[in-house]
Amino acid sequence: MNTTTSDTQTTRTICGYCGVGCSLDLVTRDNRIIAVHPAFDGPANQGALCVKGQFAYDYVHHPDRLTHPLVRNEAGQLQRATWDEALQRAAQGYMDVLQKHGRHAVYGVASGRTPSEANYMMQKFIRVGFGTNQIDNCSRA
Amino acid sequence: MSNPLADMEKPDVIFCIGTNMTEAHPVAATRLKKALARGAKMIVADPRRIRLAEMADIYLPIRVGSDTALLLGMAHVIVREGLADSEFIATRTEGYDELVEHLQEKTPQWAESITGVPAALIEEAAVLYGSSDKGAIYYTLGITEHICGVENVQSLCNLALLTGNFGREGTGVNPMRGQNNIQGAGDSGALPNNYAGFQPVDDAANQAKFAKAYGREVDLEKGITKVTALDECGDRIFAMLIDGENTVVSDPDQEHCIHALKSLEHLVVIDIFLTETAELADVVLPATSWAETDGNFVNTERRIQRVRKAVEPPGEAKPDWWIIGQIARRMGMSGLDYDSPVPIFNEICELSPIYNGIDWDLAEGGQYQWPIPYRGHPGTPRLHEDEFINGRGKFSFTDYRDPAETIDEAYPLWLTTGRRLESYHTRTQTGRSEGINDLLPEETLEVHPSDAARYGLHDGGWAKMSSRRGAVDVRVQTTRRSPQGTVFASFSFADVPINVLTGSGYDPITQTAELKVCPVHVEPTAEKTPLAAD
Repeated sequence: MNTTTSDTQTTRTICGYCGVGCSLDLVTRDNRIIAVHPAFDGPANQGALCVKGQFAYDYVHHPDRLTHPLVRNEAGQLQRATWDEALQRAAQGYMDVLQKHGRHAVYGVASGRTPSEANYMMQKFIRVGFGTNQIDNCSRA
Repeated sequence: MSNPLADMEKPDVIFCIGTNMTEAHPVAATRLKKALARGAKMIVADPRRIRLAEMADIYLPIRVGSDTALLLGMAHVIVREGLADSEFIATRTEGYDELVEHLQEKTPQWAESITGVPAALIEEAAVLYGSSDKGAIYYTLGITEHICGVENVQSLCNLALLTGNFGREGTGVNPMRGQNNIQGAGDSGALPNNYAGFQPVDDAANQAKFAKAYGREVDLEKGITKVTALDECGDRIFAMLIDGENTVVSDPDQEHCIHALKSLEHLVVIDIFLTETAELADVVLPATSWAETDGNFVNTERRIQRVRKAVEPPGEAKPDWWIIGQIARRMGMSGLDYDSPVPIFNEICELSPIYNGIDWDLAEGGQYQWPIPYRGHPGTPRLHEDEFINGRGKFSFTDYRDPAETIDEAYPLWLTTGRRLESYHTRTQTGRSEGINDLLPEETLEVHPSDAARYGLHDGGWAKMSSRRGAVDVRVQTTRRSPQGTVFASFSFADVPINVLTGSGYDPITQTAELKVCPVHVEPTAEKTPLAAD
């Protein structure tokens, strides 16, 4: 669904803010978003966008973005780690708690912002990993 | 929503309650504006004189937390005036006679005594909605974020059932979902009571189905909710995996929340920024953002729509699904090792009867609204057309309850919270958008001029606002959008953490927090006191 002009690309996607689900085209150049165009054939929005959907996209390229894993060190500080170290530490922590406190002691909080695939993985992680239903998303608060 | 967004242009009478739609769902509100331009009438019930209230034919300025009383009063009038749809009631509902009995004493005068809305206005609104051919109800968190959120929704359903406003164009009971994929999160089974596709975990057949699919025995008992899990951190819950939620700023009773997360033995947070919540974690894993991700979002009208990757992620950031699968792999789990989101979505479709009719490729065009029960089914834009999921629509015998905390001498003002057009949630995203920060640089407390005078506050000055749980300093904005006795602020700004104050109570069924009601005390303060955490 990507259309390419000389130096820009257009990608049809869905706004990431509220639940209306407006269709929009992300205009990108050199791996950066340079504009958002509302989609006139979007079933939810028919060409309309609000101030957030139209303009609030520059966070994607903000220097505050996390670019590498962080692990808390013995001094109590979060410090840069490789993916392998961080994933191992994450996994070991759950295995330790599982052994010490049992399978109901681990809890998953899924996100209303991530795609359904991430949500499904969160619940599958809890249900396959621990055999419990200790999983929720952020809809209650 | 029971009905599609397109139906918002079709009602004769629109009833909006607890929804600040022009700010929180602006594009959906344009549909209502089209209906109004065509001649539709609108009733708006809200404690604040929001923009929708200005656009309304009848504005019902209810006291915060009194929605159930208003709705019972309206139902009483509909029955009394003979506006109930007897054919719909006879063929599609049950419990009508008991409801009539139940409503006998819920007069508009009784409702006035609780809501503060004149009985005559309640009658006028009930007659307008009750006489419409196509009446549609829209609500948001102003209905659900109360200790009586379930009763509020049931009371709305009573009105629609009484008047036959279900299953037709331009009708229905329509919640506007607040987050881009909060619907999809529930659809995908990220709930303590349901597997994917809203299949209850305490049903033995579902358990057998998922035990087989997942290759292990699974509890027949429901899990606990996030609210309960936070209460039990360090007691029964010792580890958490949090994906893309800034719990510390978005959840009620911030001090309690920070204490809970700090008392865990192991906390892993997946996010795109080092949020206030990620700062408490043992391991922080960098995720791809919305523009760097392939997958599906499900909108408020149950429409499944593809999101597509447009740019490469920064540094080593990875998709959430990959991160979770890799943790699982290192714990020796099988069945979570996917190489793309495609088989994950297809697995949701295979296991969920409401998604059985589609797969990743079919979802490409965004034309499907669930349920899509079988291949070739066109999807279901409008629910309840021929019958309700459980057969007949059941009337509920709701009653009014006071909020968890009510105003008194020490805390004499109602605080209600919400969103603003230019900011989103805890501003991890909109707070990092330059233009947006120009439009909305800081949080303000909206106070009626007479309350400002009474408590010694002035426009542009600072107030110290306290509740039974904490205090924050916030700049004052005097406005008649706030009624006398009620103040408003959003929870978006981490430097004015309004959720230090909230958290008085929870709905006993859904455990949704009563974020819309919190008695507070305000007093002038010379200037902002820096937060301890600064």
